[in-house]
Amino acid sequence: MYRRAILSVYQRRSALKPPRDPRLGPPAWTHLACVPVFRAAVQLSRRAFGSAGVQLCEKKEGAPAPVAEEVKNGGETTEELQTEPKKREGAASKTEKELKDKIENRSFQETAAVQTDNTVKAKAQSPDFRTESESDSDSDSDSDSDSDSEAVSRAGAKTEENKITESAEERKSTPASPEKAKDNEVGKKGLLELLGAMKVEVTTKRKLKAPKIQRSGQEAPPRPGEMESTTSMFQQATSEAASQSETLSPELVEAASAAASTLPDSTQAKSELLRQLRKHEAVSQEQRKGETHDIGNIIADMKVGRRLNGRPNARPANQIRFDEDGRGYTHDRGITSELDGVRRRKNPFLTKRLSIFPVGAEQEPDTDLAAGPTLWDADLASQIVQVVNQRPRNGFEEMIQWTREGKLWQYPINNEAGMEEETSVPFHEHVFLERHLENGFPQQGPIRHFMELVVTGLGKNPHLSVKQKLEHIAWFRDYFQQKQDVLNEAETY
Amino acid sequence: AVISSILFSGSAEEIVIPRKKTWYGIAVLQALASTVNRDPTASHYVFQDDSYLTPRTSAEFKLYSLAQESGRTAAKYFINTYPKYFQKDFANPHIPCLMPETLELQVNEVSEAALIERIQLRKVKAAVDMYDQLLQAGTPVSLDLTNDLLDLISLYGDCDPARGDAPDKSLKPNRENNNAERIFNMMPERNRRSYGALIRGMVKHGAYSKAFNTYTDLLNNRLTGDVHIFNALISAAPEVREKYVEKWDLIVDLLKQMAEQKVKPTLLTFNAVLKALRRCGSLGRTQAFPVINEMKALGIAPSLATYDHVLGIFYKAATSAQGHTEILQDVLSEISGKSFTAQDPDDVEFFKDAMRICLATKDIEQAYRVHSLLGVGENWKLLGDSYYQSIYYGRFFNLLCMMEHIDVVLKWYKELIPSLYYPNSQGMRDLLQALDTDNRLDLIPQIWKDIKRMGHDNKTELVEEMLSLMARENQIPEVQQSFADCALDVKALYTQTDRRVPLSWSAGSLSSITSILLAAERTQQAWEMLKLFKLANRVPSESLMNQFLESVKASNNAQQAVELVQISASFCLSITPNLMERVQQEFDLTEEQRNTLSDLESSTAMSD
Repeated sequence: MYRRAILSVYQRRSALKPPRDPRLGPPAWTHLACVPVFRAAVQLSRRAFGSAGVQLCEKKEGAPAPVAEEVKNGGETTEELQTEPKKREGAASKTEKELKDKIENRSFQETAAVQTDNTVKAKAQSPDFRTESESDSDSDSDSDSDSDSEAVSRAGAKTEENKITESAEERKSTPASPEKAKDNEVGKKGLLELLGAMKVEVTTKRKLKAPKIQRSGQEAPPRPGEMESTTSMFQQATSEAASQSETLSPELVEAASAAASTLPDSTQAKSELLRQLRKHEAVSQEQRKGETHDIGNIIADMKVGRRLNGRPNARPANQIRFDEDGRGYTHDRGITSELDGVRRRKNPFLTKRLSIFPVGAEQEPDTDLAAGPTLWDADLASQIVQVVNQRPRNGFEEMIQWTREGKLWQYPINNEAGMEEETSVPFHEHVFLERHLENGFPQQGPIRHFMELVVTGLGKNPHLSVKQKLEHIAWFRDYFQQKQDVLNEAETY
Repeated sequence: AVISSILFSGSAEEIVIPRKKTWYGIAVLQALASTVNRDPTASHYVFQDDSYLTPRTSAEFKLYSLAQESGRTAAKYFINTYPKYFQKDFANPHIPCLMPETLELQVNEVSEAALIERIQLRKVKAAVDMYDQLLQAGTPVSLDLTNDLLDLISLYGDCDPARGDAPDKSLKPNRENNNAERIFNMMPERNRRSYGALIRGMVKHGAYSKAFNTYTDLLNNRLTGDVHIFNALISAAPEVREKYVEKWDLIVDLLKQMAEQKVKPTLLTFNAVLKALRRCGSLGRTQAFPVINEMKALGIAPSLATYDHVLGIFYKAATSAQGHTEILQDVLSEISGKSFTAQDPDDVEFFKDAMRICLATKDIEQAYRVHSLLGVGENWKLLGDSYYQSIYYGRFFNLLCMMEHIDVVLKWYKELIPSLYYPNSQGMRDLLQALDTDNRLDLIPQIWKDIKRMGHDNKTELVEEMLSLMARENQIPEVQQSFADCALDVKALYTQTDRRVPLSWSAGSLSSITSILLAAERTQQAWEMLKLFKLANRVPSESLMNQFLESVKASNNAQQAVELVQISASFCLSITPNLMERVQQEFDLTEEQRNTLSDLESSTAMSD
């Protein structure tokens, strides 16, 4: 829970960045651009956490508390809301430490909601966590934290302003509702954005230190890794939203009545307040329903892409318990879970490797293998042959088998079939045989002429091997040498 | 447009000259063989010479193929045992493999040549004796030759291997007081090969911790291992450690030592690692893919055994239905369309294991993918011997019967049976159930013919299941007639006396046949069946008696009705009074028949 909250707060910040980028091109604008966005978001997140706590309380108590009590509690809450911004303003500082303390202070005020405490604490730790986990994007995170604290302080100031005006209006029992409702509306919206964005970079945070590109303000490449948890989150959300009753939470009613008691016409003020609050509730319900589309978009965006590193799917499904997601996510969930099934899985054949052996390194050639097959190799081969199905499926396969065993002559595949001993002899040895007439034959005359004819004939003879052709020539050489006397007499040699 | 024009001009300039294609001697035969398709109506090619040897059951298939093999082996045995009668060489050019092999020792004096000959002929004991004699005579034996001798002893474990042509081949691991270690210790110098022979022998014969000690010895002697040593040690690693983590640590340690010693791993190395990981529980699941990716990074193409080990790691027999269903998909998408050759003795395990997983997860899609992979290239060879084939096809057919529509099942049935696969009786029962599921019971008589041909007509359970399916409900008349013929056929089997294990009538089979006959309006034959009950000491069911009464009523045969009541009374069925009443009311009975009935009534009343 803590970690998730921490991350979520951080995530929100980074997730909120993309929209601003298209608007403001140069990254130098980052700070300024962030501020207004964050003001809303921080406020909202507080609201969100607060009500989470409230809801939990409600659950604990079971039945709604009596109206009087509700009214009292409500008053406390309102006071809190009012005092808190003041404190904030007083302690406005840009350092993260102070920010953390401050938020903790505030959280202690809200001890009524146990869970809220946890969340806010967690939230307060977020800067630390962020800097720790992200040392390589220092400048960026610095700017973030700066803007964050700035945003918080500004938000504080703004809230206070709002509160003052609101309380004045309340006193007059004038319809402050539109403004308040609007405020609340914005809050819900922001919260939804926050929730939607929250998961987007959780994985990035923990695992992907290398791909930091999206931290520099570019649209974060969506990661399928988040999808799982996102779905589970929405499941959680829907189930909780379902449990949330139409009526206001007792905490809220209590707060309202407490606030009303400070006014002269307490009962009227109380009913006015409560009506107002109910309106908020209704509006925000509407809002939430409308908001589902946005979330849907976010989810749809998140789906695209692959997880880059091989993390086992071991994340517990219910790490987050967020309350106010409203209804109407069921259909979205259907889609997401479906998409989940398709895209969540990475190809395990593309994940990391053991990295024990160096790739491409020249390894010592195996000297033993060069020595020829050993008994072991023969043994392995015979093992393989024994298990493999060797039965021929048709006559040709049987002939292949026999050919391999040497029982059958090779099927001729060219004109040189069966000419094993001639394979190493080049063709010119066969065709150009004149050079063999240099020794033992006259340079000219009828015998030379005769031998040239013989050589031409031999050169065209495909049936004799080179050796046989040479033997043939040698026979004539011997013959003419033996008959040299006769030939000399005839003067033909 | 710019890019495409660049590409276009680039490709226009570049002319790729096709490389010279090297044709092997068997290329034409391979091309011809690829044009021959399998005929699903014919028996396997090896049996086509002799139609008498067309196997009809798996037992016959095994018998006939073993007979062929042993005939060849026997011929070879005689040729090798009496070479002097087989010296005439008809073939020109000479065909060496048809000539008798020299198996007798030719060199008898004590010399290195004699030792070489003994090693070549794999005569372990004679070689060891010769080595000892050489040492006693003071003749130094070269290191290579001693290593050959060590290889021989380590491989065959101190006893002579059975002759290649002899039918029985069994290795007796006998590591007590063995010669390999004795000779090894006597060797004046030892190199890597000597150690390798010893270590591989120890691993082969189960002396795992000894093998690791020898490896330590090797390192102490400032030698390095070779890939075979490491392969052997990796496969021995799970034996010498208890815990999963320890096993894996040992393997990683060995791999690191390989990398340090610059030993290049082979396919067998990684297959050994994965095989060991199968015994490392859940650790295997996290490490399997890193191992495979390491292989790929090193450019070693995985063999089917690799994937089989992966499947084995992720799908344990007990938990196969849960989780990791996608691993088989991943594996199949990785290897679909690839042709494999056998490189590892475990390669043949893949197809049957993959099909087992498909069956366990009831995933017909993956089963089809596995089956199509089998058709690629020469992958069919890796399905293994006939035993593995029957397992594979049995699982496939079982899955088909379970998941597919009956028309598809029958298509596969015609395709596979009986040319590739002889289903067992369970397979036929699956088919019957598939018929039942899709309401195609009218095909039963046809299937019955196959059942008879495959020799499953003596399986009581199968026959009774078939009969009960036929008897269960009324069919259209033609089907009912064919059922009746089939039932009479079954009946003939039961009454046959020349069988070694005759089928014995059960009440179920008797009543099924009877009711089939009744439904087909073969009353006469049904009556004969009814008499068989008495002979077989079985009792017909009451519903059957009612059915009989209905049929008798249809023919309005009062005599038969009375007989029926008599039979019912003789079985002391509780339905008898009921039947009697109905007979008395619904039939026109003669006086005599009435008397018979009243007699019966009084006797049953007395017995009550």
